[in-house]
Amino acid sequence: MTLIGVPGRTGGIAVVRRLAGHLARGLVMILVVTTISFLIIRNIPGDPMAAKYEKLVEQGMSPEAAQQAVNVLYGFMPTGSMWEQYLDYMKGLARLDLGQSLTVPGTGVSTVLMSAAKWTLIPVLAGTLLSFVVGIILGVYAAIKRQGKLGDLLAISGSLLHGVPQYVLALLLGAIFTTLIPILPAGGTADIMFEPGLNAGYIGSLVQHATLPVVTYALASYGGWILAMKSSVVTVLGDDFILAAELRGMKRSIIFRYIARNAILPLFTILALSLGLLFGGAIFIERIFNYPGLGLMLIDSITGRDYALMGGAFLLITVAIIIANIAADLLYTVIDPRVRSGGEAA
Amino acid sequence: MTATTIMPEARSASSALRRNFWRGVWRVMKRKPSRMAGVVIMAGFAFMGIFGPMLYPERLPRDTNALYASPSWAHPFGTDFEGTDVLALVVTGSRYVLLTGLVTAVITVVLGAGIGLFAGFRRGRWDSVLMRITDMKLTIPGLPLLLVLSTIWKFTSAIEMGLVLGLLGWGGVARAVRSQTLSLRERGFVEAARGLGLSTTHIIGRELLPSMAPYIAMNMLIAVTGAVYAQVGLFFLGVLPFEANNWGVMLNLAVFGGGALTTTAALPYLLAPLLAILLLTLGIVLVVDAMDEIFNPRLREE
Amino acid sequence: MSVTDKRAPGVRISDLSVVYRTQAGELPAVRGVDLELVPGTITGVVGESGSGKSTLALSLLNAVQPPGRISSGSVEIDGLGDVVSLTGDNLRKARGRHVGYVFQAAQNSLNPLKTVGKQLLDLGRSHDVDDLPGLVKEARSLLDRMGMDGARVLDSHQHELSGGMRQRVGIMLALVLNAHIVVLDEPTTALDMITQATILRIIREVHEERGLTTLVITHDLGVVAEIADRLAVMYGGRLVEQGPTREVLGAPKHPYTRGLLQAIPRLVGDIDEARALPGRPPTLGTIPPDGCVFRERCAVRMDVCETGEPPVLTIGPRIVACHAEAGEREPESEPAEEPEKETVTTGPVRGEEQA
Repeated sequence: MTLIGVPGRTGGIAVVRRLAGHLARGLVMILVVTTISFLIIRNIPGDPMAAKYEKLVEQGMSPEAAQQAVNVLYGFMPTGSMWEQYLDYMKGLARLDLGQSLTVPGTGVSTVLMSAAKWTLIPVLAGTLLSFVVGIILGVYAAIKRQGKLGDLLAISGSLLHGVPQYVLALLLGAIFTTLIPILPAGGTADIMFEPGLNAGYIGSLVQHATLPVVTYALASYGGWILAMKSSVVTVLGDDFILAAELRGMKRSIIFRYIARNAILPLFTILALSLGLLFGGAIFIERIFNYPGLGLMLIDSITGRDYALMGGAFLLITVAIIIANIAADLLYTVIDPRVRSGGEAA
Repeated sequence: MTATTIMPEARSASSALRRNFWRGVWRVMKRKPSRMAGVVIMAGFAFMGIFGPMLYPERLPRDTNALYASPSWAHPFGTDFEGTDVLALVVTGSRYVLLTGLVTAVITVVLGAGIGLFAGFRRGRWDSVLMRITDMKLTIPGLPLLLVLSTIWKFTSAIEMGLVLGLLGWGGVARAVRSQTLSLRERGFVEAARGLGLSTTHIIGRELLPSMAPYIAMNMLIAVTGAVYAQVGLFFLGVLPFEANNWGVMLNLAVFGGGALTTTAALPYLLAPLLAILLLTLGIVLVVDAMDEIFNPRLREE
Repeated sequence: MSVTDKRAPGVRISDLSVVYRTQAGELPAVRGVDLELVPGTITGVVGESGSGKSTLALSLLNAVQPPGRISSGSVEIDGLGDVVSLTGDNLRKARGRHVGYVFQAAQNSLNPLKTVGKQLLDLGRSHDVDDLPGLVKEARSLLDRMGMDGARVLDSHQHELSGGMRQRVGIMLALVLNAHIVVLDEPTTALDMITQATILRIIREVHEERGLTTLVITHDLGVVAEIADRLAVMYGGRLVEQGPTREVLGAPKHPYTRGLLQAIPRLVGDIDEARALPGRPPTLGTIPPDGCVFRERCAVRMDVCETGEPPVLTIGPRIVACHAEAGEREPESEPAEEPEKETVTTGPVRGEEQA
């Protein structure tokens, strides 16, 4: 476009433009997701809201009061046209009012969600970072030694772990470490005998209970990292500028840094994207190890017919992904000078 | 006219290509025996899915004297909570699992390839609209969406399950096929065919699709694994009613009914379907790896 | 600019062979090449793609990439010794310090994530340059000398530079450590005509100002005609003819050189006079193992070409390897016996024009 040719100065404008575009797209996505979640809750067989409303009226509540009560519970009106209900639901969302939880009576959905979210962070965040670091290092190794036995072995281990679904890994690890060699606890976040707080016993128990969820998550994502890093390094190794640096007599350590930096660049974007799974990435792990994060809460809300909570959890999980998508793209603009200046990529 | 005159040549050239292709397949297979194993594993599962259930009576026999029995000659993987042979459950359950995988793969590939081809071929407005939609689909997380969806639609039959998974899963294939189409266009493929006076259907059906067929086939295999994981996972989580016997139901009952993660009794019951999933994955990974090398000469080791 | 009093070094390539490991065994990409780069001259190596000219250029830095390797021969550089026997840090330091290598313009020879200036500093650190500000100053003056805004270029990333600018940056990086031998691989490929002319002028001028020994690898006879003092023609991994540029182009002795010249269409005269060489150049796998590599496409092919290695004839400052030429010179000594290596002349050939 007109931006080409004046590098440097246009950088800021390009970034702002991208940011605006992404935010707009993100908002549209959130709108779509909330609409889906509205339609699903509205169309649940047996219409739980209408049922509740009728029950309240039967119990002698006035229709207005009953309507009010249902609205508080589910976040939207049980009567009125679909369109009115939709607008009402969206208005509630705009105030961050997600309704009331049934399973934890008297508590707002947002409060319940927040308390669950912190537990989801542990397996996903720790697992992602652990697997990222290990996968990157081994990926470089697998690329350099790709003609040898060890490189082959690393690549195969990567594809196998990458191919196996999370719950299979979780079940296998669980079967080994809680049933066959019972050295790790089978579920929960910490033993109840310890007082929550900053004491050694509680923290030790916390770590012990988090081990299986974190390790499972790390193993499940490790394969992706090692494969991605390997192929990225192989690509960079074939680039002309690496040979050029060699022919200029550059030190090996400097060439290695050139390779590493160029190869890891696309991986950072994937890292940002995978952090979007912060809330929804460990559903199986949480279910299997009975870890009370958002995933477990989503399942419990479905089996317990707590639809307001379900809608809220789904929304939170999705919004995290949308935000991560935007962040990943912005990150790319920040770390890659080619995109930053709006040059060739424009 | 030009088209008809060049066709015979083109046909003989393509049949020669095909011969070379099968020779290439054979060479790749021969070099790594593990790939042969992959093909054998997949054939084995196909056999199991088609003929397996015929080997057993409609209602599997129960041995009420042997609940959660340990592995023995009679029950290689033990029995479940009702005393049913676990191996029989795995074999009879495979049909559901594989049928779902097949339905999903077909829908994914047909929808994905169709939309991708259309978008890449038409370009312009259609392309951007379709790709926006695809991006949105790719953004919404699949598993949570499936879970939420299960509250209004109990998609428990194999066909329904395959339909749901297929309808939710075509985004990736559509993106990939579109970019392939665009890159073929860029190489002047389409313009050249136009210049020869070939019709659009001919270009898409005879020129574009065949050149992408291997790629699509690979995606289809990957879609099968994805579908197997997803449905087993959904049943395992227990959000859908259990109607037919399948591996996911087995996992659920083993873990949450039999307490396989706390006692050893139900362990064989848990491990048998897991083993089946791992074996199927292994087979598909090996075959995809072989296909990758056949179709991507760049990856061939020197 | 630092014009050193050091005399330009010479390079003697003797009996150099490079093989590539393939599934069909080791195949020669360069075979038995003898070439001298006379101090202070520009030598042009011309050949079609696959003739082994780029491999030859890489051999000058002992940098043939695997699966290739130098299987025999030597590359003697004044003040450095035989490059082929150099290893490890000695070899690394020779690259850049003694021999500068300039990549093809179309290739991306710069790290896309770092500015030119930062890569210059990396280069300086690699070669233990103590005076880094001095290095930057030298680089800037070189860039200024080549008609660019040096300070700005050092502050730029690769993608912010045009092809011609990248090429000049490449030349700067090859010269900034004061290398006196420069190898340019296809320096003008993928550049537009005007930029081509500018780059060639710059190469010629810098060559003279700094007192360099320069090797230019190209497929373009026009480039060689414009800047090279001496010309070597490569075909199928062999040097088939070499000599002073004007003499070789004026009266080519090898049928391949003649064919190349005839293939060039002229602006003046009949377009039909331009005749492309029949057939295709050989690839690594199709180079005939015995006899003359060019015989398949040769207009004056004889029986002996099938089996006998063409004799290498030294005619004044010129060298040509051809049976037909040999037959014309000494008609009586044309027996079918294998011409021995004795006829090969490796002695230095005096270039008549000194820069």
